[in-house]
Amino acid sequence: MTVAAKSSRYRISRRQALKLFAVTSGGLIVAAPLSACSVTAAPHPLSKASGVTESALLQITPSNEVNFYLPRAEMGQGVFMGLTTLIAEELEVGPDSIAVHHASVHDAYNKPGSSLQYTGGSTSLSAHFIQLRQVAADMREAIRQAAAGDLDVPVESLVMQDGQVRDGDKAYPYGRFADTASRRAMPENTALKSASDFTVIGHDRPRLDAWDKVTGQAGFGLDVDFPGLYRAALVRCPATGGKVKTVNMDKAAAVQGVFKIVPIFNGVAVVAEQQWQAKQAAQLLEIEWDMPDLAKLSSPELRRTMERAMADDDGQNAHSAGDGADALRRADKVLEATYWAPYLAHATMEPMNCTARIHDGRCEIWVGSQMPDGALGMAAHHSGLSRDKVTVHSTYLGGGFGRRLSSDFVAEAVAIARASGVAVQLVWSREEDIQYDRYRPVSLVRMRAGLDRDGRIDSWTAKRVGPNVAAHFADDNLETIAPEFVPWSWSEWASKRSYWLFESLIINPASVHGLFGDYDIANQDVRHVTVDPGLPIGYWRSVGHSFNAFFAESFIDELADAAKQDPLAFRLAHNGHDLRMQRVLRTAAQEAGWDKARPGRFQGIAAHNSFETAVAHVVELSLVDGAVKVNKVTCAVDCGTAVNPDIVRAQMESGIIYGMTAALFGEITVDQGAVVQSNFHDYEMIRMDQAPEIAVTIMPSTAPPTGVGEPGLPPLAPALGNAIFAATGKRIRELPLAKQIEFV
Amino acid sequence: MITFSLNGLTVQTDVPSDTPLLWVVRDVFKLKGSKFGCGAGLCGACTMHVDGAAVRTCILPVADVAGHDVTTIEGLGSKDDPHPLQRAWVDHSVPQCGYCQSGQLMSAAALLEKNPLPSDADIADGMRGNICRCGTYGRIRQAIRSTVENGGVK
Repeated sequence: MTVAAKSSRYRISRRQALKLFAVTSGGLIVAAPLSACSVTAAPHPLSKASGVTESALLQITPSNEVNFYLPRAEMGQGVFMGLTTLIAEELEVGPDSIAVHHASVHDAYNKPGSSLQYTGGSTSLSAHFIQLRQVAADMREAIRQAAAGDLDVPVESLVMQDGQVRDGDKAYPYGRFADTASRRAMPENTALKSASDFTVIGHDRPRLDAWDKVTGQAGFGLDVDFPGLYRAALVRCPATGGKVKTVNMDKAAAVQGVFKIVPIFNGVAVVAEQQWQAKQAAQLLEIEWDMPDLAKLSSPELRRTMERAMADDDGQNAHSAGDGADALRRADKVLEATYWAPYLAHATMEPMNCTARIHDGRCEIWVGSQMPDGALGMAAHHSGLSRDKVTVHSTYLGGGFGRRLSSDFVAEAVAIARASGVAVQLVWSREEDIQYDRYRPVSLVRMRAGLDRDGRIDSWTAKRVGPNVAAHFADDNLETIAPEFVPWSWSEWASKRSYWLFESLIINPASVHGLFGDYDIANQDVRHVTVDPGLPIGYWRSVGHSFNAFFAESFIDELADAAKQDPLAFRLAHNGHDLRMQRVLRTAAQEAGWDKARPGRFQGIAAHNSFETAVAHVVELSLVDGAVKVNKVTCAVDCGTAVNPDIVRAQMESGIIYGMTAALFGEITVDQGAVVQSNFHDYEMIRMDQAPEIAVTIMPSTAPPTGVGEPGLPPLAPALGNAIFAATGKRIRELPLAKQIEFV
Repeated sequence: MITFSLNGLTVQTDVPSDTPLLWVVRDVFKLKGSKFGCGAGLCGACTMHVDGAAVRTCILPVADVAGHDVTTIEGLGSKDDPHPLQRAWVDHSVPQCGYCQSGQLMSAAALLEKNPLPSDADIADGMRGNICRCGTYGRIRQAIRSTVENGGVK
């Protein structure tokens, strides 16, 4: 275990590593270069026989098929529909007649503004909002110009509508002019439609992926199958990072259907004809482990270490304004409170899985990934092949929530395929999925604020103690996304330096974001102390906002109470600089009937900016024999232009339920390095009977779209905690709430 | 050799008799619509009908369905010939990631077969065995209600 910042213990010796780390990774983690922002991106890696294919994203064939190669991963958040909507709007083609394909890996599919092909940060719609419309508008214009030539009529006389070129009362399918268009120069910078002319954007229709998903036809990674495919089960060390010391395979090898048993870098894999056989045999392996340092970790000791760090360590400054913490001295009243949020697993419904085949000097993987380029780099390393010999077949994702940004399960599948010599599918059990996750980091935060004589917040300080996601993410993934000419061992060595970097030199924004910024307060001081016991952590839906909003928005309520003010009025008095925030707060309150709750109903409010989007929730609950029943959540969201309003509503509903599961039940604990929880009986989920009614209002807006996949989550936990305070007078400062009060 | 009916077709398999039905249907008969979620009967992603009742097949030995009728999501309906619930699921845009929805639909279909006019409490009770991480519970409830209002599943 390390307690870092100025007192870093064992990682301090790696100080000299910083330079190389910066050289090899500087542009990668933060990923700045602008790429693939044009319609003339590199040639498409997939075979496209004919037609107009200039963009690598969009193809119109002579037989009038419109193919859209979806550059972001569909994990439920709605890009399948959302990005297709952008294409349909400018192409003047009905969304239902566009065939959407999951893109493979190619620079052309990097997220605009990034050098990586990742899906995360609630940015898919905002990043592609101009780019894909431009691609489609240019393609539409290419067809129009080709048609004018073929039909020998002026371009101006042709109207593009519903996938048809209309010339007076005659109509021709786009595809008829696809070959001609492909021989002509592609138009550029075609003027985009103005918002008032939108006929698809902003209008609701059923999700395009709905039919496949209600008939069992949507292909997830788990559903990949082909002749000759074996199934694998892997036994890992109970504490992540441990190595195999000895293994007795005799009993496992005797199980019917077992083909091979192979040790790989982190455990021992059974390869069998069928999934069940592999699992059964894996349980019979007798393995002795070299336990890692992590095996010394147990949750109670970690809590004590974090509390010690909170008391003893001043940490690094992450944000300041005015006189900082000094201003506390002149406050009329000072409030202090310490909050806690535990580690959390993602628990996607589809457990981690990957299918891998190494054959004829090539490696193919089938995987649902939020970072397929990282998956490709990982597959190249573990297959021993260069990256140009690796093909990624992308699938639907049965949930992502940040978990599928990492490629640890790809590494395993490819290593097993290589060691066994056959194509394998590795499917994690639910227990493995919960026990070998990249967790939402544990956090301890102390808030202190000063009120002036008028009951205004004059000073605001926060200190967060916990590990840094960016450090773990770099360790996990840097090698896979570093340029291929950088030897793996170099980038691996550099990736380990990330821990020290974020402990000692720079603040990981995700550790502190959401602890400040929503309120206009003259004097602020936000600090950070790194304590990292080494349990793998990663990006978890809304990242630092997921816990920091709970801390900040609960504490704001405490201050409102101390100032004897209404929580809504108190917030509005402190965020006059943020009109979107004011609007969602007022709207949510109005829709919920704030302060007019029926007898026996209690309300709490919270609001938070994340991923450029403002969201406010009012939680309404009642008490049933002292237990809490959450009746309703009223949400208002300002996300700029709502490209698909119903998907915005769905994402708010989703963030609310995901956030409520975390707030009520979510807790991962560790005993001697091993995660204690294992399945849905001890890592509980909100189910239908506890799911509240949800009402969502979307603020009308013509501003560019901002995120919706994550921002619905952060304000839920504080709004719920604030409602519990309103109902019971009990202020709960530790998650999960169900450890402190019963829910029904 | 174990014989049972799968979506109306008689099928036979010689896998070990303790193999859960889920894996037999997915890996032997290649119907991939039913999902693996927990392996412990806790999440409902693997739900199929056995003689019309919703059953968690990740913990149901295939031997137990010998001589019985098994229906999977593929047997419930298709886009061309949908079950009323599938139509309602689309109309309400219920699915997000979609992974749990086969199981949700099979549970809902069994619920309405048994109880054509369920109250909200009946729906909550009948559906609480199915977890959805995307939080589609509200829409599932609406889709079931609207199916009932539009004449149910008969």
